[in-house]
Amino acid sequence: MNRPLLAAAGALLISTGAAAKEQPLPPFTLGYEPQTVDERGMWSEADEWEKSVKSSTLRVDDEGLNAYVREVLCKTVGTDRCDGVRVYVLNIPAFNATMSPNGMMMVWTGLLLRARSEAELGAVLGHEFAHFELRHSLKGFQARRSASDVLAWTQVLGNALQVDTRNSQFSLIGSLFRFNREQEKEADLLGLDYLAQSKYPSRSASEVWQHLMEEADATATGRKIKKRHRYRAGFFDTHPTELDRADYLLEQSMAKGDTGDAGAASYYAALSPWLPKLLEDQVRLNDFAGTEYLLNSIAATTGWTGELLQARAELFATRGNPRDLITATTLYLNAIDVGHSRPATMRGLGLSLVKSGKRSEGAEYLRKYLEAEPGAPDASLIRMYVPDERTAK
Amino acid sequence: MIVRGACAALLVLALTTPAGAHKLVEPGSPEKVADGAFRATSGTTWNRLQQSEGKYQEVWTIDGHKLNRLAFYGGVPAGKPLVKERDKKRDPLPKVTESMLLPDVPNLVERTYRTQYDIPIFNIGKQEPATLGGKEGIRFEYTYVDPGDEVERRGEAYAAIEGGKLYLVTFEAPSLHYFARDAAEVRSIVKSVTLRP
Repeated sequence: MNRPLLAAAGALLISTGAAAKEQPLPPFTLGYEPQTVDERGMWSEADEWEKSVKSSTLRVDDEGLNAYVREVLCKTVGTDRCDGVRVYVLNIPAFNATMSPNGMMMVWTGLLLRARSEAELGAVLGHEFAHFELRHSLKGFQARRSASDVLAWTQVLGNALQVDTRNSQFSLIGSLFRFNREQEKEADLLGLDYLAQSKYPSRSASEVWQHLMEEADATATGRKIKKRHRYRAGFFDTHPTELDRADYLLEQSMAKGDTGDAGAASYYAALSPWLPKLLEDQVRLNDFAGTEYLLNSIAATTGWTGELLQARAELFATRGNPRDLITATTLYLNAIDVGHSRPATMRGLGLSLVKSGKRSEGAEYLRKYLEAEPGAPDASLIRMYVPDERTAK
Repeated sequence: MIVRGACAALLVLALTTPAGAHKLVEPGSPEKVADGAFRATSGTTWNRLQQSEGKYQEVWTIDGHKLNRLAFYGGVPAGKPLVKERDKKRDPLPKVTESMLLPDVPNLVERTYRTQYDIPIFNIGKQEPATLGGKEGIRFEYTYVDPGDEVERRGEAYAAIEGGKLYLVTFEAPSLHYFARDAAEVRSIVKSVTLRP
């Protein structure tokens, strides 16, 4: 049985920045052998984990997509560095990428939907690569070990001496999280260096965080909850705040003053075969306002393509308020107008019309769906809404 | 003394009928399910889980809910989600809507699972007309992967929309071995289902 990926992720990835001795070779060197007992242990654990990732049901088993993500990484950090990295795209519709100490990089599909250019994707991948180059997992492991030793001893001493140790435990745990934040910043800044040296503009790194904040704002507004952006990370936060990151990354990139083509058009061109699936997964997350924000932001680059109109139509159709059905119907028709007449468009439009009380108009489109896909897995069900098909059956 | 005696009696009671114990569903006689929204007759002994996610749901299992999970959702009205939301504000669930048609039910189940159980992979398969409790309904198949154990599970569900309320029965088990083992028993339970008049 596969080892649960996500549970294991916490144990192996990320962390702390205690000063460590200079290592002889960077870990991305071809044929690099881990140097110390700790490093060897982490690499062998990560190797085991990688085996389970390779056969994981969550993995997107599409060579083209994996190769493209790797290509963006290589363009960002340079081919000499990226040679030592294996990239695995995982089908998880949330924003994340991780790097383990042996050079395994995992990229979630939600990141691919949110990056708006090769440069933005490269900024995140470069940041993860920086953790690898800086051996953060190892340093984190060592820092965690020494902090927990202290914790254990404090507890024992506290019991023996009958003194309240809760405060000192609290601050030690806090110091661990602050180490994490310092490492994140270190990786952010090295990632920025990669971008500045690449053909991509380093300003894109700040934009990633700006867009994430905007999306979070949109989601919060849609769910009528309070927006939260802070400059200072809280005691238990493992990462600097998004606002803080957007701020110092912009400042640093302005100091570098580099420019370049972020590769927005080429990004969406390369992503286009997978975009419908990414959009479908996003629409089904039940985050109406956040999804609206994402769709609008993609449309700002690509224009309202058939895929985007279809996804937006599905978004309204699934919420299903009476006025949503009018919007959905209009959007499906708009999609057809720009030449996007997929079977799924006909199905969605037909059902929206049926739900709006326009049964015969709806039946027309459902008939077109059945003609286009007579063997669809829901064909017999859809025939229930097409009168003559139903009696003919 | 009286108080102490009463406490002792309560303690004995608590020990003899542990809170949260699962009750057995005995085969052969119709059982009230999901607060009486359904009646169903099983062919073998099931466990009725005491913990449910909200007032419309009831879950049965033979070996534990990770190995076989038969869930009944009884009479979910428009405006309500299938299960109680774990965080109404931050993780709201899709709701049953007045305009909902039978082909929308698989999508409702998928979106509920994606949010409530963080399921990243959910595939809907065959969908066809069927009856549930003598009403016109839908039968559909699906598979999903729970990232917690990465086991692929297969699902089969039956639903009907009656009087503006959704009635849904889902059965899920690992694709390997368990689904096929219990599918016939589940289908016979579904055939026996009647809806609250």
